[in-house]
Amino acid sequence: MIRYSIITILLLLAAFIVQQFLPAFTGLHHSRILLVQLVFLCCAVTVGQPTMLLLAFIGGFFWDAQCALGPHGGDPEVYTQQVENLRFGYSILLFGGMGFLMQGIQPLFKQGKWQFSALLSGIAVLLYLAAEYTIINFVRGDFTLSQATMRQMGYTAILTMLFSPVIFWMLFRIAGICDHSINPEAGRRRRRTR
Amino acid sequence: MKPLNLIALLLFLGGAVWALTRSDRSVREIQNAYYAAMSPFLKSGSKMETQARAFLQETRHSKELEAELEATREQLGRLRLIESRFRALEYENVQLRHALDFKKATRFDVVAARVIRRNPATWWQTVEIDSGSKRRVGTQLAVLSNEGLVGKIDRIDSGGERSSVLLLTDEKCQVSARVEGSPEVGILSGQRGGFDGEPMLRLRFLSPNAAVRPGQRVFTTGRGGIFQANIPLGTIDSVEKGALDSEALVRPSVNFADLGAVFVVLSADS
Repeated sequence: MIRYSIITILLLLAAFIVQQFLPAFTGLHHSRILLVQLVFLCCAVTVGQPTMLLLAFIGGFFWDAQCALGPHGGDPEVYTQQVENLRFGYSILLFGGMGFLMQGIQPLFKQGKWQFSALLSGIAVLLYLAAEYTIINFVRGDFTLSQATMRQMGYTAILTMLFSPVIFWMLFRIAGICDHSINPEAGRRRRRTR
Repeated sequence: MKPLNLIALLLFLGGAVWALTRSDRSVREIQNAYYAAMSPFLKSGSKMETQARAFLQETRHSKELEAELEATREQLGRLRLIESRFRALEYENVQLRHALDFKKATRFDVVAARVIRRNPATWWQTVEIDSGSKRRVGTQLAVLSNEGLVGKIDRIDSGGERSSVLLLTDEKCQVSARVEGSPEVGILSGQRGGFDGEPMLRLRFLSPNAAVRPGQRVFTTGRGGIFQANIPLGTIDSVEKGALDSEALVRPSVNFADLGAVFVVLSADS
């Protein structure tokens, strides 16, 4: 269990490195595969709440460290209405929220129905992007939501979701190596049918 | 709720509050530490990417020709930049002569850099370039291409070899701008969520009856302490007049989808 938890943390950190080299799909409204969020979501459904919260903190903290922008820096007399920055650390709460959402269907995952979790990972990514965009609008004012933005969020969620079976396959393999069962009820049922 | 889960939740919330209350300075320190840890991976990744690209191109060009072409491109970019500056200076000179007010000529001291990659964020428009503090690049310096203003330096890596550029297409990159052939000045910035096709810029705070029309060119004013004057920004695409102020949509002069070599302005207006 501890070995598995440590490996999920390492996997999340590895996702940060790989994410740097994943380009945006310009033909699909600049949508991209959000690997960090995907790895977190898939791991969140396989671990207990304390580990999920630790992963959410690490994921959100490093995501903000990667994306935070600096202050404007210009003359405030010329730039009277400067665009606000989002506070460092907001992603931690978003990651936490997504994690709780994934844990909501953990009973189904434990029964071996990982397909529901894969589907929910897409929905969670969509909600994450929508929440992030809403926060930007709330902080900066002047609410705008174009069709292109909606399509970008939709395509990003779908593209990310399509990769979730690969991450689940990896997690099953890792759990096997660590002698840890991430879906014990399904395992029990398999043994009974034999 | 199990006691362990409750403790974990409280610790999580405590950690989130701690992160949310960090000052700008500590955030920069955290970012520096993050990118310092990432640096070896980014370096080797970029090297592999460059090698792969070079390998693919080798089928068409010899390495020698490729290096020559790259040097010529850089030189062409630099010359175009100088040419555009000369045009701007010529215009400025005419204006100054008219006003019988002579001013020292403007000089640009630039460093050429290559765009390594786009940062993997959904809502922020930033790219990374291969020049940092080792080549005298600092934060808040203007970044140009041979077509016009690209953005400004947002962050320098602690290793001093890379820096992050906030693109003009980002909502947060604000530039004091003027419309050619009119007294109108405003603030130009990117659009939130403007990802459909070619990105457009918003020129805000123009006067309510602004005498501007599509096709007019937009340049930096030089006010605000970040960007030098007369750098091309784009061309007016449409104008929307309001009761209190007017807004214009501006087509950027730079092709942001194809950013290769850029120039960081180290000093100007000496």
